[in-house]
Amino acid sequence: MSKELRVLLGILILLVPFCVAQPQDSTIVEEEEDYSMYDNLDFVAEGTKRFCTSKVLGLSPQKLISLGYDFQGGADLSTDVNNSLFNNESARIEYSHGLRLQGNIPVLSRNSIIIQANINYAEQNYVALKNDENTVGTNLFERSFLNYGLRTAGIGTTIFKPLDEENYLLFQVSGDNNGDYGWNALPDLANTRLSAAAIWGKKVSDRKMWGWGLSRTYRAGDLNYIPVFLLNWTSANSKWGAEMLLPARAQLRRSFNSRNLLLIGYELEGQTYRIDSRNQGVSNLELRRSELRFRLAYERSISGFIWLSFQAGFRYNYSFNIDDLPNNRDFFRGFFGDQPYFMENTLSNTFYSMVSINLVSP
Amino acid sequence: MFKSLFSALVLVLMFSSSVFAQDAGDRLLGVWEPSNGKARVKIEKIGSKYFGKIVWLKEPEDPETGKPKVDKNNADPALQNAPLKGYRLLKDFVYKGEDEWTEGTIYDPENGSTYSSTIKMTDENTLDIRGYIGISAFGRTDVWKRLQIPKKK
Repeated sequence: MSKELRVLLGILILLVPFCVAQPQDSTIVEEEEDYSMYDNLDFVAEGTKRFCTSKVLGLSPQKLISLGYDFQGGADLSTDVNNSLFNNESARIEYSHGLRLQGNIPVLSRNSIIIQANINYAEQNYVALKNDENTVGTNLFERSFLNYGLRTAGIGTTIFKPLDEENYLLFQVSGDNNGDYGWNALPDLANTRLSAAAIWGKKVSDRKMWGWGLSRTYRAGDLNYIPVFLLNWTSANSKWGAEMLLPARAQLRRSFNSRNLLLIGYELEGQTYRIDSRNQGVSNLELRRSELRFRLAYERSISGFIWLSFQAGFRYNYSFNIDDLPNNRDFFRGFFGDQPYFMENTLSNTFYSMVSINLVSP
Repeated sequence: MFKSLFSALVLVLMFSSSVFAQDAGDRLLGVWEPSNGKARVKIEKIGSKYFGKIVWLKEPEDPETGKPKVDKNNADPALQNAPLKGYRLLKDFVYKGEDEWTEGTIYDPENGSTYSSTIKMTDENTLDIRGYIGISAFGRTDVWKRLQIPKKK
Protein backbone atom coordinates (compact mmCIF):
# COMPACT_ATOMS: atom_id res chain seq x y z
CA MET A 1 0.00 0.00 0.00
CA SER A 2 1.43 3.35 -0.96
CA LYS A 3 2.12 5.95 1.68
CA GLU A 4 -0.57 8.25 0.27
CA LEU A 5 -3.19 5.55 0.45
CA ARG A 6 -2.22 4.74 4.03
CA VAL A 7 -2.61 8.44 4.92
CA LEU A 8 -6.03 8.53 3.23
CA LEU A 9 -7.13 5.34 4.98
CA GLY A 10 -5.98 6.72 8.32
CA ILE A 11 -7.99 9.89 7.81
CA LEU A 12 -11.08 7.94 6.86
CA ILE A 13 -10.76 5.68 9.91
CA LEU A 14 -10.56 8.79 12.09
CA LEU A 15 -13.76 10.10 10.53
CA VAL A 16 -15.68 6.86 10.88
CA PRO A 17 -17.14 7.71 14.33
CA PHE A 18 -18.73 10.82 12.82
CA CYS A 19 -20.18 8.99 9.87
CA VAL A 20 -21.44 5.58 10.94
CA ALA A 21 -25.08 5.04 11.64
CA GLN A 22 -26.06 5.51 15.26
CA PRO A 23 -28.88 3.86 17.24
CA GLN A 24 -32.18 3.81 15.42
CA ASP A 25 -35.16 5.88 16.47
CA SER A 26 -38.05 4.48 18.43
CA THR A 27 -40.77 6.26 20.28
CA ILE A 28 -40.17 4.35 23.47
CA VAL A 29 -36.63 4.58 24.76
CA GLU A 30 -35.54 1.13 25.79
CA GLU A 31 -32.23 1.80 27.49
CA GLU A 32 -32.12 2.12 31.24
CA GLU A 33 -31.29 5.58 32.46
CA ASP A 34 -31.11 7.02 35.93
CA TYR A 35 -33.72 9.73 35.61
CA SER A 36 -33.13 10.95 39.16
CA MET A 37 -30.18 12.94 37.81
CA TYR A 38 -32.70 15.31 36.21
CA ASP A 39 -34.55 16.03 39.46
CA ASN A 40 -32.42 18.94 40.57
CA LEU A 41 -31.60 21.18 37.66
CA ASP A 42 -31.48 24.95 37.37
CA PHE A 43 -32.07 27.27 34.45
CA VAL A 44 -28.82 28.23 32.78
CA ALA A 45 -30.07 31.76 32.23
CA GLU A 46 -30.66 33.59 35.47
CA GLY A 47 -33.99 35.30 36.03
CA THR A 48 -35.94 32.88 33.83
CA LYS A 49 -39.62 33.07 34.71
CA ARG A 50 -42.27 30.40 34.35
CA PHE A 51 -45.77 31.26 33.20
CA CYS A 52 -49.07 29.48 33.40
CA THR A 53 -50.70 28.47 30.13
CA SER A 54 -54.26 29.00 28.97
CA LYS A 55 -54.81 25.29 28.47
CA VAL A 56 -56.71 23.09 30.88
CA LEU A 57 -56.41 19.32 30.53
CA GLY A 58 -59.36 17.65 28.87
CA LEU A 59 -61.08 20.84 27.73
CA SER A 60 -63.13 20.61 24.53
CA PRO A 61 -60.80 21.61 21.70
CA GLN A 62 -60.53 25.22 20.68
CA LYS A 63 -61.73 25.77 17.14
CA LEU A 64 -59.30 27.49 14.81
CA ILE A 65 -61.76 27.46 11.93
CA SER A 66 -65.38 26.47 12.18
CA LEU A 67 -67.99 26.23 9.45
CA GLY A 68 -71.48 25.47 10.65
CA TYR A 69 -75.13 25.39 9.70
CA ASP A 70 -77.82 26.41 12.15
CA PHE A 71 -81.47 25.44 11.87
CA GLN A 72 -84.39 26.62 14.00
CA GLY A 73 -87.89 25.23 13.89
CA GLY A 74 -91.13 27.12 13.32
CA ALA A 75 -92.13 30.03 15.53
CA ASP A 76 -94.81 32.70 15.81
CA LEU A 77 -93.81 36.33 15.71
CA SER A 78 -96.11 39.08 16.88
CA THR A 79 -95.43 42.77 17.19
CA ASP A 80 -96.79 45.15 19.78
CA VAL A 81 -96.20 48.61 18.43
CA ASN A 82 -95.69 51.62 20.67
CA ASN A 83 -95.88 54.17 17.84
CA SER A 84 -98.15 55.39 15.10
CA LEU A 85 -95.96 54.32 12.21
CA PHE A 86 -96.76 50.63 12.20
CA ASN A 87 -99.64 48.35 12.98
CA ASN A 88 -99.61 45.40 15.31
CA GLU A 89 -99.13 42.28 13.24
CA SER A 90 -98.21 38.66 13.46
CA ALA A 91 -96.43 36.21 11.20
CA ARG A 92 -95.74 32.51 11.21
CA ILE A 93 -92.12 31.64 10.57
CA GLU A 94 -91.89 28.19 9.05
CA TYR A 95 -88.25 27.83 9.98
CA SER A 96 -85.05 29.84 10.06
CA HIS A 97 -81.56 28.81 9.17
CA GLY A 98 -78.13 30.10 8.28
CA LEU A 99 -74.43 29.53 7.88
CA ARG A 100 -71.92 30.30 10.58
CA LEU A 101 -68.23 30.85 10.06
CA GLN A 102 -65.68 31.45 12.78
CA GLY A 103 -61.93 31.84 12.76
CA ASN A 104 -59.63 32.09 15.75
CA ILE A 105 -56.15 32.48 14.37
CA PRO A 106 -53.10 32.73 16.63
CA VAL A 107 -51.17 35.87 15.77
CA LEU A 108 -48.59 35.74 18.51
CA SER A 109 -48.11 32.70 20.68
CA ARG A 110 -45.43 33.03 23.33
CA ASN A 111 -45.04 31.93 26.93
CA SER A 112 -45.53 35.48 28.11
CA ILE A 113 -48.47 36.39 25.88
CA ILE A 114 -50.90 34.86 23.42
CA ILE A 115 -52.69 37.07 20.93
CA GLN A 116 -55.41 35.67 18.76
CA ALA A 117 -57.35 37.26 15.91
CA ASN A 118 -61.01 36.36 15.77
CA ILE A 119 -63.43 36.67 12.88
CA ASN A 120 -67.02 35.60 12.73
CA TYR A 121 -69.91 35.62 10.32
CA ALA A 122 -73.41 34.34 11.00
CA GLU A 123 -76.70 34.67 9.23
CA GLN A 124 -80.26 33.83 10.14
CA ASN A 125 -82.67 33.59 7.23
CA TYR A 126 -86.36 33.47 8.08
CA VAL A 127 -88.72 31.49 5.91
CA ALA A 128 -92.35 32.51 6.34
CA LEU A 129 -95.28 30.38 5.27
CA LYS A 130 -95.77 31.07 1.60
CA ASN A 131 -99.14 29.47 1.11
CA ASP A 132 -101.03 32.09 3.05
CA GLU A 133 -100.11 35.64 2.22
CA ASN A 134 -102.05 36.92 5.21
CA THR A 135 -99.65 35.25 7.56
CA VAL A 136 -96.63 36.96 6.08
CA GLY A 137 -95.75 40.18 7.83
CA THR A 138 -96.61 43.30 5.91
CA ASN A 139 -95.19 46.05 8.01
CA LEU A 140 -91.80 47.44 7.16
CA PHE A 141 -90.01 45.72 10.00
CA GLU A 142 -91.35 42.25 9.42
CA ARG A 143 -91.04 42.55 5.67
CA SER A 144 -87.46 43.62 6.05
CA PHE A 145 -86.12 40.78 8.09
CA LEU A 146 -88.44 38.12 6.70
CA ASN A 147 -87.20 39.03 3.24
CA TYR A 148 -83.59 39.68 3.99
CA GLY A 149 -82.75 37.88 7.22
CA LEU A 150 -80.20 38.99 9.77
CA ARG A 151 -76.46 39.00 9.49
CA THR A 152 -73.53 39.39 11.85
CA ALA A 153 -69.96 40.03 10.80
CA GLY A 154 -67.23 40.86 13.23
CA ILE A 155 -63.56 40.92 13.97
CA GLY A 156 -61.83 40.92 17.29
CA THR A 157 -58.93 39.80 19.37
CA THR A 158 -58.35 37.67 22.43
CA ILE A 159 -55.28 38.26 24.54
CA PHE A 160 -54.09 35.89 27.25
CA LYS A 161 -51.43 37.46 29.45
CA PRO A 162 -49.96 35.20 32.15
CA LEU A 163 -48.46 37.16 34.99
CA ASP A 164 -46.63 34.25 36.62
CA GLU A 165 -47.13 30.51 37.18
CA GLU A 166 -50.58 31.08 38.64
CA ASN A 167 -52.12 34.45 37.83
CA TYR A 168 -53.30 35.60 34.43
CA LEU A 169 -55.24 38.30 32.63
CA LEU A 170 -57.61 37.69 29.75
CA PHE A 171 -58.88 40.40 27.42
CA GLN A 172 -61.37 40.11 24.62
CA VAL A 173 -62.51 42.84 22.27
CA SER A 174 -64.69 42.55 19.20
CA GLY A 175 -66.42 44.87 16.78
CA ASP A 176 -69.55 43.48 15.17
CA ASN A 177 -71.71 44.87 12.44
CA ASN A 178 -75.14 43.33 12.58
CA GLY A 179 -78.23 43.96 10.54
CA ASP A 180 -80.45 43.07 7.60
CA TYR A 181 -77.74 44.01 5.16
CA GLY A 182 -76.55 41.99 2.21
CA TRP A 183 -74.51 42.33 -0.95
CA ASN A 184 -77.10 44.77 -2.34
CA ALA A 185 -77.13 46.89 0.78
CA LEU A 186 -73.79 46.86 2.51
CA PRO A 187 -73.61 47.73 6.20
CA ASP A 188 -72.58 51.12 7.49
CA LEU A 189 -69.38 50.75 9.49
CA ALA A 190 -70.61 53.50 11.80
CA ASN A 191 -73.09 50.97 13.16
CA THR A 192 -70.33 48.65 14.39
CA ARG A 193 -70.94 47.66 18.00
CA LEU A 194 -68.11 47.07 20.42
CA SER A 195 -68.06 44.23 22.94
CA ALA A 196 -65.25 43.67 25.41
CA ALA A 197 -64.30 41.71 28.49
CA ALA A 198 -61.43 41.83 30.96
CA ILE A 199 -60.79 39.00 33.38
CA TRP A 200 -58.25 38.35 36.09
CA GLY A 201 -57.89 34.80 37.30
CA LYS A 202 -55.82 31.95 38.63
CA LYS A 203 -54.66 28.77 37.00
CA VAL A 204 -54.90 26.63 40.08
CA SER A 205 -53.68 23.43 38.46
CA ASP A 206 -53.48 21.73 35.08
CA ARG A 207 -57.11 20.80 35.60
CA LYS A 208 -58.61 23.99 36.91
CA MET A 209 -58.60 27.69 36.16
CA TRP A 210 -61.01 30.39 37.19
CA GLY A 211 -61.36 34.12 36.84
CA TRP A 212 -63.51 37.15 37.56
CA GLY A 213 -64.06 40.13 35.36
CA LEU A 214 -66.29 42.69 33.74
CA SER A 215 -67.79 42.75 30.29
CA ARG A 216 -69.48 45.15 27.93
CA THR A 217 -71.86 42.95 26.04
CA TYR A 218 -74.86 42.75 23.74
CA ARG A 219 -75.65 39.12 24.55
CA ALA A 220 -78.92 40.17 26.14
CA GLY A 221 -79.75 42.24 23.05
CA ASP A 222 -79.34 45.62 24.73
CA LEU A 223 -76.00 47.09 25.62
CA ASN A 224 -75.09 45.99 29.10
CA TYR A 225 -72.19 45.97 31.55
CA ILE A 226 -72.09 42.85 33.66
CA PRO A 227 -69.63 40.92 35.81
CA VAL A 228 -68.39 37.61 34.41
CA PHE A 229 -67.06 34.46 35.99
CA LEU A 230 -64.87 31.96 34.17
CA LEU A 231 -64.31 28.36 35.21
CA ASN A 232 -62.64 25.55 33.32
CA TRP A 233 -62.32 22.34 35.28
CA THR A 234 -61.56 18.68 34.59
CA SER A 235 -61.92 15.84 37.08
CA ALA A 236 -58.92 13.74 38.16
CA ASN A 237 -60.04 10.85 35.95
CA SER A 238 -60.52 13.27 33.00
CA LYS A 239 -64.01 11.91 32.38
CA TRP A 240 -65.94 14.91 33.67
CA GLY A 241 -65.50 18.61 33.39
CA ALA A 242 -67.10 22.03 33.37
CA GLU A 243 -66.59 24.90 30.94
CA MET A 244 -68.28 28.14 31.81
CA LEU A 245 -68.13 31.84 31.24
CA LEU A 246 -71.11 33.03 33.23
CA PRO A 247 -73.58 34.35 32.40
CA ALA A 248 -72.84 33.84 28.68
CA ARG A 249 -72.51 30.07 28.70
CA ALA A 250 -72.07 27.02 30.89
CA GLN A 251 -71.67 23.39 30.01
CA LEU A 252 -70.83 20.15 31.69
CA ARG A 253 -68.56 17.81 29.78
CA ARG A 254 -68.37 14.04 29.63
CA SER A 255 -65.25 12.86 27.83
CA PHE A 256 -65.27 9.33 26.51
CA ASN A 257 -61.67 9.78 25.40
CA SER A 258 -59.54 12.64 24.11
CA ARG A 259 -61.30 12.54 20.72
CA ASN A 260 -64.88 12.02 21.72
CA LEU A 261 -67.00 14.08 24.11
CA LEU A 262 -70.50 15.11 25.09
CA LEU A 263 -71.53 18.54 26.39
CA ILE A 264 -74.73 19.66 28.05
CA GLY A 265 -75.50 23.23 28.98
CA TYR A 266 -76.67 26.54 27.63
CA GLU A 267 -75.44 29.58 25.75
CA LEU A 268 -76.85 33.07 25.71
CA GLU A 269 -76.54 34.44 22.18
CA GLY A 270 -77.42 37.96 21.27
CA GLN A 271 -76.63 41.11 19.38
CA THR A 272 -78.22 44.38 18.40
CA TYR A 273 -79.14 44.49 14.69
CA ARG A 274 -79.62 47.53 12.49
CA ILE A 275 -82.75 46.61 10.55
CA ASP A 276 -83.62 49.77 8.70
CA SER A 277 -81.13 49.68 5.87
CA ARG A 278 -83.81 48.75 3.32
CA ASN A 279 -86.74 50.65 4.84
CA GLN A 280 -86.98 54.02 3.23
CA GLY A 281 -88.16 56.71 5.57
CA VAL A 282 -87.42 54.75 8.74
CA SER A 283 -84.02 54.83 10.27
CA ASN A 284 -82.13 54.23 13.48
CA LEU A 285 -84.06 51.08 14.35
CA GLU A 286 -82.18 48.36 16.19
CA LEU A 287 -83.48 44.89 16.88
CA ARG A 288 -82.35 43.74 20.33
CA ARG A 289 -82.19 40.03 19.65
CA SER A 290 -81.20 37.59 22.34
CA GLU A 291 -81.90 33.92 22.84
CA LEU A 292 -81.02 31.22 25.34
CA ARG A 293 -79.98 27.95 23.78
CA PHE A 294 -80.28 24.93 26.04
CA ARG A 295 -78.39 22.21 24.29
CA LEU A 296 -76.79 18.82 24.11
CA ALA A 297 -73.67 18.69 21.96
CA TYR A 298 -71.58 15.81 20.74
CA GLU A 299 -68.10 16.49 19.40
CA ARG A 300 -65.65 14.05 17.92
CA SER A 301 -62.48 13.97 15.90
CA ILE A 302 -63.08 12.49 12.48
CA SER A 303 -59.51 12.80 11.28
CA GLY A 304 -56.62 14.25 13.22
CA PHE A 305 -57.45 17.86 13.86
CA ILE A 306 -60.75 17.85 12.00
CA TRP A 307 -63.67 17.65 14.40
CA LEU A 308 -67.38 17.35 13.81
CA SER A 309 -69.83 18.92 16.21
CA PHE A 310 -73.55 18.21 16.44
CA GLN A 311 -75.78 20.10 18.80
CA ALA A 312 -79.49 20.17 19.35
CA GLY A 313 -81.74 21.75 21.91
CA PHE A 314 -84.33 24.31 22.75
CA ARG A 315 -84.19 27.95 21.70
CA TYR A 316 -85.83 30.26 24.25
CA ASN A 317 -86.45 33.81 23.07
CA TYR A 318 -85.14 36.33 25.59
CA SER A 319 -85.55 39.50 23.54
CA PHE A 320 -86.77 40.43 20.09
CA ASN A 321 -87.67 44.06 20.79
CA ILE A 322 -86.84 47.10 18.74
CA ASP A 323 -85.42 50.46 19.79
CA ASP A 324 -85.49 53.68 17.83
CA LEU A 325 -82.08 55.09 18.74
CA PRO A 326 -82.31 58.74 19.78
CA ASN A 327 -79.99 60.82 17.57
CA ASN A 328 -78.79 57.52 16.13
CA ARG A 329 -76.75 56.82 19.25
CA ASP A 330 -76.87 53.59 21.17
CA PHE A 331 -77.71 53.89 24.85
CA PHE A 332 -77.47 51.93 28.07
CA ARG A 333 -80.74 50.57 29.42
CA GLY A 334 -79.33 47.81 31.60
CA PHE A 335 -81.64 45.65 33.64
CA PHE A 336 -83.39 48.52 35.34
CA GLY A 337 -83.73 51.21 32.65
CA ASP A 338 -87.28 52.35 31.87
CA GLN A 339 -86.81 53.60 28.32
CA PRO A 340 -89.76 52.27 26.27
CA TYR A 341 -89.14 50.09 23.25
CA PHE A 342 -90.30 51.26 19.82
CA MET A 343 -91.78 47.81 19.26
CA GLU A 344 -92.18 44.98 21.72
CA ASN A 345 -92.15 41.70 19.86
CA THR A 346 -92.88 38.19 20.91
CA LEU A 347 -91.12 35.30 19.24
CA SER A 348 -92.29 31.91 20.38
CA ASN A 349 -89.79 29.29 21.45
CA THR A 350 -88.72 26.35 19.36
CA PHE A 351 -86.16 23.61 18.93
CA TYR A 352 -82.90 24.13 17.10
CA SER A 353 -79.96 22.14 15.82
CA MET A 354 -76.54 22.96 14.51
CA VAL A 355 -73.82 20.98 12.79
CA SER A 356 -70.29 22.22 12.23
CA ILE A 357 -66.99 21.02 10.92
CA ASN A 358 -63.95 22.38 12.68
CA LEU A 359 -60.21 22.61 12.45
CA VAL A 360 -59.07 22.55 16.06
CA SER A 361 -56.05 24.05 17.73
CA PRO A 362 -52.86 22.21 18.73
CA MET B 1 1.53 11.37 -5.41
CA PHE B 2 0.42 14.97 -5.41
CA LYS B 3 -2.81 13.92 -7.09
CA SER B 4 -3.52 11.38 -4.33
CA LEU B 5 -2.72 13.85 -1.58
CA PHE B 6 -4.98 16.42 -3.24
CA SER B 7 -7.80 13.87 -3.31
CA ALA B 8 -7.23 13.08 0.34
CA LEU B 9 -7.31 16.79 1.20
CA VAL B 10 -10.58 17.27 -0.67
CA LEU B 11 -12.11 14.34 1.19
CA VAL B 12 -10.92 15.69 4.52
CA LEU B 13 -12.39 19.09 3.76
CA MET B 14 -15.70 17.54 2.69
CA PHE B 15 -16.01 15.50 5.87
CA SER B 16 -14.77 18.23 8.16
CA SER B 17 -17.24 20.79 6.77
CA SER B 18 -20.00 18.25 7.35
CA VAL B 19 -18.77 17.67 10.87
CA PHE B 20 -18.64 21.40 11.59
CA ALA B 21 -22.23 21.80 10.32
CA GLN B 22 -23.28 19.00 12.61
CA ASP B 23 -21.46 20.64 15.49
CA ALA B 24 -23.43 23.82 14.96
CA GLY B 25 -26.62 21.78 15.11
CA ASP B 26 -25.41 20.03 18.23
CA ARG B 27 -25.97 23.20 20.22
CA LEU B 28 -29.49 21.85 20.52
CA LEU B 29 -28.27 18.98 22.69
CA GLY B 30 -29.03 19.22 26.39
CA VAL B 31 -31.90 19.26 28.83
CA TRP B 32 -34.71 21.77 28.30
CA GLU B 33 -37.84 22.79 30.13
CA PRO B 34 -41.08 23.77 28.36
CA SER B 35 -42.84 26.92 29.52
CA ASN B 36 -45.37 25.16 31.70
CA GLY B 37 -42.62 23.60 33.82
CA LYS B 38 -44.43 20.27 33.79
CA ALA B 39 -41.68 18.27 32.11
CA ARG B 40 -38.01 18.26 31.20
CA VAL B 41 -36.86 17.06 27.84
CA LYS B 42 -33.41 15.78 26.94
CA ILE B 43 -32.52 16.39 23.32
CA GLU B 44 -30.17 13.83 21.81
CA LYS B 45 -28.77 13.13 18.41
CA ILE B 46 -29.47 9.87 16.63
CA GLY B 47 -27.69 9.58 13.32
CA SER B 48 -27.90 13.04 11.82
CA LYS B 49 -31.25 13.89 13.39
CA TYR B 50 -32.31 15.28 16.74
CA PHE B 51 -34.79 13.70 19.13
CA GLY B 52 -36.09 14.71 22.53
CA LYS B 53 -37.32 12.45 25.29
CA ILE B 54 -39.06 13.21 28.57
CA VAL B 55 -36.65 12.72 31.47
CA TRP B 56 -38.59 14.38 34.29
CA LEU B 57 -42.22 15.01 35.10
CA LYS B 58 -43.48 17.46 37.68
CA GLU B 59 -46.38 15.09 38.34
CA PRO B 60 -44.87 11.66 37.58
CA GLU B 61 -47.85 9.64 38.77
CA ASP B 62 -51.32 9.47 37.30
CA PRO B 63 -53.69 10.89 39.96
CA GLU B 64 -56.32 8.38 38.91
CA THR B 65 -54.25 5.22 39.18
CA GLY B 66 -51.43 6.30 41.49
CA LYS B 67 -49.02 4.62 39.06
CA PRO B 68 -46.36 6.20 36.82
CA LYS B 69 -47.96 8.11 33.98
CA VAL B 70 -48.35 6.32 30.68
CA ASP B 71 -49.25 7.55 27.23
CA LYS B 72 -52.94 6.77 27.69
CA ASN B 73 -54.14 9.32 25.11
CA ASN B 74 -52.20 7.76 22.26
CA ALA B 75 -54.45 6.74 19.38
CA ASP B 76 -52.34 3.60 18.94
CA PRO B 77 -53.49 1.10 21.60
CA ALA B 78 -50.07 -0.56 21.50
CA LEU B 79 -48.51 2.62 22.90
CA GLN B 80 -51.11 3.44 25.52
CA ASN B 81 -49.18 1.66 28.26
CA ALA B 82 -45.83 3.17 27.32
CA PRO B 83 -44.36 5.11 30.25
CA LEU B 84 -44.19 8.85 29.63
CA LYS B 85 -40.83 9.10 31.30
CA GLY B 86 -38.42 8.20 28.55
CA TYR B 87 -40.97 8.89 25.82
CA ARG B 88 -39.63 10.55 22.68
CA LEU B 89 -41.90 13.45 21.93
CA LEU B 90 -39.54 15.35 19.61
CA LYS B 91 -38.55 13.46 16.50
CA ASP B 92 -36.59 13.74 13.30
CA PHE B 93 -35.35 17.31 13.53
CA VAL B 94 -32.70 18.26 11.01
CA TYR B 95 -30.39 21.24 11.41
CA LYS B 96 -30.80 23.48 8.43
CA GLY B 97 -28.51 26.30 9.57
CA GLU B 98 -29.14 29.78 10.97
CA ASP B 99 -30.12 28.37 14.37
CA GLU B 100 -33.10 26.49 12.99
CA TRP B 101 -34.05 22.82 13.08
CA THR B 102 -36.85 21.68 10.80
CA GLU B 103 -38.69 18.66 9.39
CA GLY B 104 -39.50 17.39 12.88
CA THR B 105 -42.60 16.49 14.79
CA ILE B 106 -43.72 17.14 18.34
CA TYR B 107 -46.10 14.91 20.25
CA ASP B 108 -48.48 16.24 22.91
CA PRO B 109 -49.20 13.45 25.42
CA GLU B 110 -52.05 15.49 26.87
CA ASN B 111 -54.20 14.93 23.80
CA GLY B 112 -52.35 12.23 21.89
CA SER B 113 -51.73 14.48 18.88
CA THR B 114 -48.59 14.82 16.79
CA TYR B 115 -47.83 18.13 15.10
CA SER B 116 -45.36 19.29 12.50
CA SER B 117 -42.69 21.27 14.27
CA THR B 118 -39.76 23.60 13.88
CA ILE B 119 -37.21 24.73 16.45
CA LYS B 120 -35.56 28.13 16.48
CA MET B 121 -32.76 28.88 18.91
CA THR B 122 -33.22 32.51 19.88
CA ASP B 123 -30.19 32.45 22.15
CA GLU B 124 -27.93 29.72 23.52
CA ASN B 125 -30.36 28.94 26.32
CA THR B 126 -33.74 29.57 24.69
CA LEU B 127 -35.71 27.66 22.08
CA ASP B 128 -38.87 28.65 20.27
CA ILE B 129 -40.61 25.38 19.53
CA ARG B 130 -43.52 25.73 17.15
CA GLY B 131 -46.08 22.99 16.64
CA TYR B 132 -48.52 23.46 13.81
CA ILE B 133 -51.11 21.81 11.61
CA GLY B 134 -50.43 21.89 7.90
CA ILE B 135 -49.22 25.46 7.64
CA SER B 136 -47.24 27.28 10.27
CA ALA B 137 -49.98 29.89 10.79
CA PHE B 138 -52.18 27.28 12.45
CA GLY B 139 -49.92 26.62 15.38
CA ARG B 140 -48.55 27.54 18.74
CA THR B 141 -45.07 28.48 19.85
CA ASP B 142 -43.70 27.44 23.19
CA VAL B 143 -40.50 28.78 24.67
CA TRP B 144 -38.16 26.23 26.22
CA LYS B 145 -35.28 27.09 28.51
CA ARG B 146 -31.99 25.23 28.92
CA LEU B 147 -31.29 23.52 32.23
CA GLN B 148 -28.05 22.61 33.92
CA ILE B 149 -26.78 20.93 37.06
CA PRO B 150 -26.89 23.55 39.84
CA LYS B 151 -23.67 25.39 40.39
CA LYS B 152 -22.11 24.82 43.79
CA LYS B 153 -22.54 27.88 46.00
